[in-house]
Amino acid sequence: MALKIVILIKQVPSYDNLEIDKSTGTIVRDGIENVINPNDLYSIELGLNLKEKYNATVSIMTMGPPQAEFALREALAMGADHAILISDPRFVYSDTLQTTLILKEAFEIIKDYDIIICGSQTSDSSTGQVPFQLSEALEIPLITDIFTLEIENHIIKCHRNFGHESQNIEVELPVILRTVSHFNNPRFISLSGIKKAFEKKIQTFAYKTFNFPEYIDGCNKSPTRVVKIEKVEIKRKNKILEGSLNEKIQSLIQIMKENGINNVYSGQKK
Amino acid sequence: MITMNFELEEKHKLVRRSVRNFAEKILAPLAPIMDREEEFYPEIIKELSMMNLWGITIPEKYGGAELDSINYLISIEEISRICASTALTVSVHNALGAIPIYKWGNEEQKERFLYDLASGKKISGFSWTEPNAGSDARSIECMAVEDGKDLILNGSKIFVTNGSIASVFLVGTRYQTIDKQRGFTLVIVEKDMVGCEIGPKENKMGMRANPTTSLYFNNVRVPKENVLGKLQNGFKYAMQMLDFGRIGIAAQALGIAQAAYEHSVKYSKGRIQFKKSISQFQGISFKLAEMATKIDAARLLVYRAGYMSDRNKSFPKEAAMCKLFTSKVARQVSQEALQIHGGYGYMKDLPIERYYRDAKACEIYEGTSEIMKLIIANQILRGNI
Repeated sequence: MALKIVILIKQVPSYDNLEIDKSTGTIVRDGIENVINPNDLYSIELGLNLKEKYNATVSIMTMGPPQAEFALREALAMGADHAILISDPRFVYSDTLQTTLILKEAFEIIKDYDIIICGSQTSDSSTGQVPFQLSEALEIPLITDIFTLEIENHIIKCHRNFGHESQNIEVELPVILRTVSHFNNPRFISLSGIKKAFEKKIQTFAYKTFNFPEYIDGCNKSPTRVVKIEKVEIKRKNKILEGSLNEKIQSLIQIMKENGINNVYSGQKK
Repeated sequence: MITMNFELEEKHKLVRRSVRNFAEKILAPLAPIMDREEEFYPEIIKELSMMNLWGITIPEKYGGAELDSINYLISIEEISRICASTALTVSVHNALGAIPIYKWGNEEQKERFLYDLASGKKISGFSWTEPNAGSDARSIECMAVEDGKDLILNGSKIFVTNGSIASVFLVGTRYQTIDKQRGFTLVIVEKDMVGCEIGPKENKMGMRANPTTSLYFNNVRVPKENVLGKLQNGFKYAMQMLDFGRIGIAAQALGIAQAAYEHSVKYSKGRIQFKKSISQFQGISFKLAEMATKIDAARLLVYRAGYMSDRNKSFPKEAAMCKLFTSKVARQVSQEALQIHGGYGYMKDLPIERYYRDAKACEIYEGTSEIMKLIIANQILRGNI
């Protein structure tokens, strides 16, 4: 039976031109291009590789406002088979815990899945909590930082890097995999992929799809509150060295030593 | 209520995003090197194939991406924003190679050529211009004389875009006659046919990464099955092909202008002189305002022409207007960009001087600006006001 893979992605404001409204302390979204969270591209690439290798079917799922459909179209154009958009006014302002509960509802509807792939974290909030919470909620194992994997007889063998350790892990499916950034090269979207992507129907899950569970209420039941978002400015300090060339070199070496750079070759023989 | 929609469709936006991403990652590092070395790197052909850029509007059943003309124009614009020479290669192959075979070719020709062209397995070129036939397109002398089941081609062609990388050429010939008004026939010539010789690469001011050559035909025996469409209808086909070709050239000019403009905004905000960024001087900011306005107007003309093409409307006037205006905008904008960058812009370390050199070609090939005015004037005076 073909493997069923579900990849979780998020649409985020483009990293290149992120601006923060100082008065409200929130990210300015007007006029900003939205993109697939860069870390999620590695998940999509992994999923598509598995599809080619194991004849799997790949579904892409995202939760977000209606315009997040564009991110799903992008993923479909890369080669995914199906797409699901979870969207409802009641899901707005969900924190990671609410998001996880909603995802749990979604997976109860999907029922049949073997591998869930998540990116490491989003570029707009960087919490990285969902994979762990989802593992608890669905009561299935999570393997983080995977590099290579093999699947045989419903068992997945993963190679993962953990700090300085290299670990080999074997787990029975279903499983959640969390990818690391830059471990593969996400493919470009070809033009013929784009045509196909727009011919596909996107499945939508709303509050009513889940039968109105009371504990889901993004706005009122999210324990996390974002108080403020600030842009951290990293400023370079200039220091102009005075004196002759030799004096300048000596003071530069001095500064480097003060900052912990000890092996300075000064040009003078010891 | 009928409304006018200036908003691009989601599909167009995704095409722009993906071609831009591809161009910035794959073409950007190569563009300055290919320009300097005057060399088209053949490995790009494969990369462009994977993007399906060789058969943008060709139906899926022939291996194309089956997208509309606006998607084609956006693709050319985005490639050109990074490498105008590559945009030229792709534009000519699509508009003057693959599309005419799809449009006028018979099923056998489509089977024989279109798969290979749409997949980029073979690159195509269009060859009409001769040493003595430039703007005066009716004065071509390349002869196609009947000999049993074949045509025998004799003559020479110049300024053939894609010359040394193409293996399929659509060649403008005179069938049996040198009567100035008759006999124009388009023939599909393959480069390895006996007697077909490709000349040395031209040394050009701009578009240097596009290999432009001459083509010589010395008693080339071409089967009659290689005649595109009907005998003696070649001029009509060529003019229609060029209407579509021209909007591709306009899209290419648009990409160059866009690149020059983006560089100018960025540079002028960062360049500090007299203790403030030069963008704060009206002398510079007004230039930026002019650039932005011209590019916007040009883009509307380009997409409008694409819109007409998608609705199968005849658009010689609009195509000519679009090329006339946009190529001029590209030249002006890249010139002003060079001025804003000052001495740095004049150096080959920055791409600005390349934009300026590349932009100039757009006012010349696929019909000079003067010929565009002639077409527009003819259309107006004929009643197409």
